[in-house]
Amino acid sequence: MLEVDHLVTGYGGVPVLHDVSLTLNAGEIVGLLGANNAGKTTLINSLSGMYAPMSGRIRFEGHDVTAMTPKQRVEIGIIQVPEGRLVFPDMSVRENLLLGGINARARAHRPRTMDHVLELFPRLKERLGQNAGTLSGGEQQMLAIGRALMAEAKLLMLDEPSLGLSPLFVQYIFGIIDRLHAEGLSILLIEQNLNLTLRHAQRCYVLERGKVAIEGASDVVKDDPRTRRAYLGL
Amino acid sequence: MAEFLQALAQGLLIGSTYGLLALGMGLVYGVSGVVNFSHGDFISLGMFLCLALYSAFALDPYISLVITVPLMTVIGGLVYWYLLRPMVGHQFLMVVQLTLGLSLVLQNGILMVFGGQPARTPSVVESKLLILGDVVVRVPHVIAFVVSFAMAIGLYIMLRSTDFGRSIRAVHQNAHSAALMGIDVSRVQTLTFALGIGILAIAAALLLPGTPIQPAQGLRYTVITLIVVALGGMTNFVGIMLGGLIIGLSEAYGTIYLSDTLGMLLPYGIFVLIMLFRPQGLTWSSSR
Amino acid sequence: MRQEFYKTLTSPVWLVILVLAVVLPPLLPSYYLHIVILALVYVALASAWNIVGGMAGQISLAHSLFIGTGAMLSTALLLKLGVNMWLGLVISAIISGVMGAMIAWIDFRFQLGHLSFVLITMAFAEMGTVIVEGWDFLGGASGLLLPQDKGDFLAFQFGGGIGAFWVMLVLAIVSILINVAILNAPLGYYLRTIRDNENAARAIGVNILRYKIAAMVISAMLSSVIGTAYVRYLTFADPYLLVSPIIIIEVVLFATVGGLGRAYGPAFGALLLVPLGEILRGKLGGTLPGLHYFIYGVVVIAVILMSPRGLLPLFEKWFSRMRPKAATSK
Ligand SMILES: Nc1ncnc2c1ncn2[C@@H]1O[C@H](COP(=O)(O)OP(=O)(O)O)[C@@H](O)[C@H]1O
Ligand SMILES: [Mg+2]
Repeated sequence: MLEVDHLVTGYGGVPVLHDVSLTLNAGEIVGLLGANNAGKTTLINSLSGMYAPMSGRIRFEGHDVTAMTPKQRVEIGIIQVPEGRLVFPDMSVRENLLLGGINARARAHRPRTMDHVLELFPRLKERLGQNAGTLSGGEQQMLAIGRALMAEAKLLMLDEPSLGLSPLFVQYIFGIIDRLHAEGLSILLIEQNLNLTLRHAQRCYVLERGKVAIEGASDVVKDDPRTRRAYLGL
Repeated sequence: MAEFLQALAQGLLIGSTYGLLALGMGLVYGVSGVVNFSHGDFISLGMFLCLALYSAFALDPYISLVITVPLMTVIGGLVYWYLLRPMVGHQFLMVVQLTLGLSLVLQNGILMVFGGQPARTPSVVESKLLILGDVVVRVPHVIAFVVSFAMAIGLYIMLRSTDFGRSIRAVHQNAHSAALMGIDVSRVQTLTFALGIGILAIAAALLLPGTPIQPAQGLRYTVITLIVVALGGMTNFVGIMLGGLIIGLSEAYGTIYLSDTLGMLLPYGIFVLIMLFRPQGLTWSSSR
Repeated sequence: MRQEFYKTLTSPVWLVILVLAVVLPPLLPSYYLHIVILALVYVALASAWNIVGGMAGQISLAHSLFIGTGAMLSTALLLKLGVNMWLGLVISAIISGVMGAMIAWIDFRFQLGHLSFVLITMAFAEMGTVIVEGWDFLGGASGLLLPQDKGDFLAFQFGGGIGAFWVMLVLAIVSILINVAILNAPLGYYLRTIRDNENAARAIGVNILRYKIAAMVISAMLSSVIGTAYVRYLTFADPYLLVSPIIIIEVVLFATVGGLGRAYGPAFGALLLVPLGEILRGKLGGTLPGLHYFIYGVVVIAVILMSPRGLLPLFEKWFSRMRPKAATSK
């Protein structure tokens, strides 16, 4: 479904990602692990089209999307839940969800998808009129995921969804991820939380200073001694 | 007392239009961070377009709106797309110089076409008066007040309850996140700038009847607008409209109760104090 | 740093300028001499402004206050109180310096940031205009007329024409040299740090207030002195010319076109645009008033979009490309 070939991306001409290749098959949860500053967020933003790559290709469902704008990528179903949630703080939960479904493909069915999202996150239903800035971190994460679902994602990319959440919320969010997976969604899961990710993803990539250091099925990656080393950023 | 009430009426009526001028600037600042120093010259442009249409076809300024609003909106869109958009993100400090340059271009372009003599554009309602007890108000001022508040309310509703309005607010609150929703940020910024200039076309027509205009007036309007925006908080709707009323009132009272010079200094004094002590503006609640 | 400064002094460019300055002016028709003098006024003003606006990146619109003080106050002191204009020049410069220091202090105390700084200085500039126009001592809206220039040096008279040219040439050169000196001194380094990242500068313990005040005071006093010399040349202290926001907008735009923050950039911009504008005004001012301002506006927009660091770096690049060619052809 998603193929990234030899991607090089950077800021101001200085590469941060060096020759990254990865694939994700339809219906999979793929984990992307890595220490702080490994380049995970840079990668996910490249997939969303936020920066033009210096070289390399990105394909989605057989089409080359490398030159597409962020808007076009949203319209074909590549949706990101950004690091730190980035909900719109001075808008209500309802408005945030409506904005999630603002793209041309999803706009028409917003009432229906909203029902679905609110059923998935009953907490949000209670807080529909409340400003997103007043929600707790866990609730904001629910909203950020709900917003992405409103966009009718085909590929859902989550950037560190467990960041800063209490263990209980982390469990809850991972439960939701499993449920979305069971409903058939393809998921790219970026995490620092090693064990949790290895447990939920079928396959994993470990990014080390902008390069893919290790890849394979989760249990293989788990047993690879290099994983923990890469992880500690040694 | 009559004088007091007269100034109150006058200040409130004109102040509402100052508020409208400032809403456009506040919106633009909110979504793209651009402070447009040629704002007042676009008001001039709107006024002189009305004058041209009057000279050519004897159109009343209120009717000219049918032409000037779309025209100015398009001009605004082009200006943002070709001149300002390339600056956003890098060289941002240069936007000041760029819009100052644009101000010279507009002001002197108008000067070359229309000459420097003060000119008037008549309207049928120009000399009509409304008498309420001791207070005499001019009908154009009443129209300006009603239309300005109607526009402000309309804009507010648009921002709250349409997808375009929500896109504008989304870009303002977090442009990165807005782009991830599939909102074309450059497009929203361009349309907002165009909208802001279109609003100026309306404000220009509202201020026009009975007011002599000349090309050099632009900077004064820019300054008034900046004062109002600073007073109200760059992106606070209610604050900006209130700010407009306050500046309208301070102008009206200043010229009555203070010497001419002090009266003219008052708004600037208020502006400086506000900028220094309450940079976010008078009203704290954010209605972004 | 000293060395670099002296090296600049002995560069052949200065020699050429000096020779031209001695030989050319007496040969010029008075109209062109006038244009040269105007160009020098703006070279001096743009270079003075550059210390704050270019090096520290603070787009000050309040400089019309300093120019205006130098022009209007020294004139008023002479006409109303009989104060010798040399003394008037010193008094005006000191008052401008104090105003500059106050603005710098306000900027520091309230941590204005670049945008608020523009807005506040614009408000100060507007207030200055209103005050001058409303205060009879300074000539009010109708301005003041200086006595005829009889060339009495002790009365700050230089005989107009060639004399004014020499005065302006000296001021322009002093203004540029101060730029060179500051850029090569620690002050220049700190001003750049303030421009690029004030918070970082604060964090590493740079005494920002001191440098901001230093830059502003130097720039303000210089602008004031230029204002006094300019009004002596003009003879008529016209508030609509000397205290208006237009004069400062012109200065800002010339500096931007030439290249902000460089020693010679603003001078280059003024040398380029003032003659262009004046010749246009001379030829077409009657039929198309405002054409020269229109052109200034177009030029500054074009330069910002195409070469945001100004035209001087562009020219330098051309020259350095041409020079090796010339060397090989020899
Ligand atoms: N906007 C940016 N501009 C310049 N450098 C950046 C930017 N964002 C991230 N970086 C740099 O790119 C590298 C990778 O960062 P990031 O992708 O955020 O890593 P991760 O998400 O794995 O923590 C870091 O060294 C970081 O400093
Ligand atoms: Mg990250």
